[in-house]
Amino acid sequence: MKVASHFNFTPAHRLPPGFDAFRLRVWAFGLRLLVVGSLGCALSARAQTPPHLPPGGLMQLQVPQGIVDVSSPVSAAAVFDPPVAHVGDRVFYRVTVDATESSVTWPDAFPTPAELGFGAQASGQITQTQGARYRPLASFVYEVKPRAEGRFTVTNFTVEVSGVRLAVPSASLDVAPKSTATVAARRLRLDIPQTKVFVGQSFPVRVILPTGPDNELEALREIELHGDGLMVDRTASHQSIEPVNLDGQLRMAFTAELNVVALAAGPLKFTSQGFTAGREFMAPISIRGQVRFPSGPTKYILLVSEAAELSVRPLPEEGQPASFTGAIGRFFNDPPRLSTNRVQVGEPLQLKVTFHGEGDFCRFVPPAAPLSRDWQIIADPPPATSFTLVPLADDLRATPAIPFSYFDPDLGKYEDLTIAPQPVTVLGQGLPLAVAAAEEPGKTVAPLKLSALAQAPGGALAGLRPLQLRGWFAGLQLVPLAGFIALWQWDRRRRFLAAHPDLVRRARARRELRRARRQLQAALDAGDAAAFVQCAARAMAIAAAPHFPAEATALVGGDVLAQLDAAGQDGPYAETVRQVFAAADAAFAVAPQVQTDWLTWRPGVEAVLEKLEERL
Amino acid sequence: MKPERNLIRCWAGRWNLALLLAVLVWVTTACPGRATTNDLFAQGLEFSRAGRFPEAAEIFQKLAKAQPAAGTLVNLGLAEWQCGHAGAAILAWEQARWIDPFDGRAAANLKFAREVAQVDEPQLKWYEAVSTWLSPNAWAWLGASMLWLTVGLLVLPGILRWRKAGWHQLLAALAFGVFLLCLTADFGVAGRSQIGIVLKKNAALQLTPTQDGEVVSTLAAGEPARPLRVHGRFAYVRTANGAGWIDQDALGLLCPR
Repeated sequence: MKVASHFNFTPAHRLPPGFDAFRLRVWAFGLRLLVVGSLGCALSARAQTPPHLPPGGLMQLQVPQGIVDVSSPVSAAAVFDPPVAHVGDRVFYRVTVDATESSVTWPDAFPTPAELGFGAQASGQITQTQGARYRPLASFVYEVKPRAEGRFTVTNFTVEVSGVRLAVPSASLDVAPKSTATVAARRLRLDIPQTKVFVGQSFPVRVILPTGPDNELEALREIELHGDGLMVDRTASHQSIEPVNLDGQLRMAFTAELNVVALAAGPLKFTSQGFTAGREFMAPISIRGQVRFPSGPTKYILLVSEAAELSVRPLPEEGQPASFTGAIGRFFNDPPRLSTNRVQVGEPLQLKVTFHGEGDFCRFVPPAAPLSRDWQIIADPPPATSFTLVPLADDLRATPAIPFSYFDPDLGKYEDLTIAPQPVTVLGQGLPLAVAAAEEPGKTVAPLKLSALAQAPGGALAGLRPLQLRGWFAGLQLVPLAGFIALWQWDRRRRFLAAHPDLVRRARARRELRRARRQLQAALDAGDAAAFVQCAARAMAIAAAPHFPAEATALVGGDVLAQLDAAGQDGPYAETVRQVFAAADAAFAVAPQVQTDWLTWRPGVEAVLEKLEERL
Repeated sequence: MKPERNLIRCWAGRWNLALLLAVLVWVTTACPGRATTNDLFAQGLEFSRAGRFPEAAEIFQKLAKAQPAAGTLVNLGLAEWQCGHAGAAILAWEQARWIDPFDGRAAANLKFAREVAQVDEPQLKWYEAVSTWLSPNAWAWLGASMLWLTVGLLVLPGILRWRKAGWHQLLAALAFGVFLLCLTADFGVAGRSQIGIVLKKNAALQLTPTQDGEVVSTLAAGEPARPLRVHGRFAYVRTANGAGWIDQDALGLLCPR
């Protein structure tokens, strides 16, 4: 107990700025535990090695730290900002107390003029620097909207600060007619580039403090966003002083960019607040443009912004892949890298994957290790995006695919970013190349061993599937079958024709007649009258021969006439036949005379031949 | 007669042209393929001699897939054995024997591997044992030839008006007898083509075809198994140790489908 009381906090203790009473209590409790633990260790340890401090660590311990002043008398102040306003203007009623916010018991209600519409309340706390001392400062702000002209006063009232009553002085607001010039109250601006986001999506929010009169700019500290369903990622914020487009005008402004994550779906409203802090820039800041910083003591004024609205949509449940780990943005990955591509069974290898893209990498959840029968997959602890893979079988040829997907808010859909399998050679446990054969009494057996390599591939096949099971081989058997069927048909035909020789003669006569007709046409084309009548006579004899049956060369004109019907035997057909055979016979005379008008018999010859062919 | 001769010459010219084209096609397609095959085989041999067995196995695997040959499969088995893949090696040598039953290297290697891995040979039925006397394709061609020889000897003398002789009948009976033997062997070939070899070490033989099915027993790499039916990615197999479901990835078929 003595030890603990020794570490109770008093104003003489030195703490960094920004600590409130609650944090002090937590720290004190932690220190007590630390001291008790250290004493326990010291008692149990036989020898203790000196602690290893980083370079300059001892020097740092010796540098005097600022003192937090919590013993000075607490004072309160109340003002209207601005003190003069018009009806309907936005005015802030601001009460500041030199104490921590948690130590102030703010009343639920206090006397306010009915003409001043008291609206939303905000409160905050800052540690103000007073030379080498730090002093907490709490601020309570009400947004006021005057409804009538006149001078209105909020009378003094009391609040409790750490159980002690403290009087808050009165403050007055002059609500002047419209003709009177007034100064607008200072307030923060909220800039949200994206007003439609998805649950879990990280998006930037800029809290802007524009320059005041004379281009004077102050730093902003203890910036907070107030609203349900939002989470501010303070690790990813940065501050700058740069020209900002405000209401169509470029003005220099202090800008703090915060990363916000939407946690709940639906329309969300939120506001921002922060203390002006003069030249007290607590973080690295980039400055573009010229501004003037205020001189003199710092005035810590709690400023608030108007509410901003945001529409937060839930992530689509339809099509959500199992490999989705909550990554929202636009990502891509480099080709995966293996620590080695040749491992023994049971030997671990490392698979490294690097992800890039636009999105919140602070909240990026790497792919989960999938379950596999052949691989033991261990995901390295986040934020590492690598895996330790252990092959469990010796016939593996590639690493397993590691499924991963993310949600692209711009496209509004899930994108697959599965880590593709990587070729790998897994070696099994060594197998013997030779074994000693079992020795049998009276027998010498050579040791069994593997054969040498084959020096040539040997006769290759199209595949291992046997011919018996291939369709085309069964189809091939139709070829000899078709051959046998053709042979059988040919034999049948041959037997039929042997039984009907007249059919053979007629067919042969038709063939010869076609040939004789071609010769007849050739004689006509050549204008050879003698050849024409010879061919015509032969053609007629050929057409008539099967009916006797007789050889065509043995027939005369009368035989041909006999094959014409009764009408034909007396008509022009008979005349043509007689003329043709007479002219053909004349060719055998001692002095044959050829008459060119024989060629004019062609129509009659054609008609006779057609008549005869009809009977074939 | 002249036009007929011209016609004949014309047809003969066309046949010559077609023959020339066929030769050209063969030269441009078959020869480079064979050259590539030989190059790959030589490369695989080099890798094997250099002790780079995984690479050699990969090359022989590729080669065996494109143009399976006994020598390629023997070398594939050797490379897989050196990589420690007993199941894959036994499967490769079984396939080598499937192509060429007279390959002594494959037979010796199989004997050695089964001695080392302590696995049994596939249990063959009598007609399957008969089918191992010749290669499957030899049985197929022999059977077909004998069938049509029988038919021809019975049919052709009548059609061609040959005098029926005793040797015709004798030869037909003999051919028909060989055909019946081939038919038996063909059934054996069909049965043997279903034989599978367990590829993975301690492959689980499950009671049900499910991811988390109860394991009945485990099978050693190289163990023969006959798949009877398939359900999803599991095959119901019968082995010397019993029947059960096995992941199809863990089973290599002698004659892949």
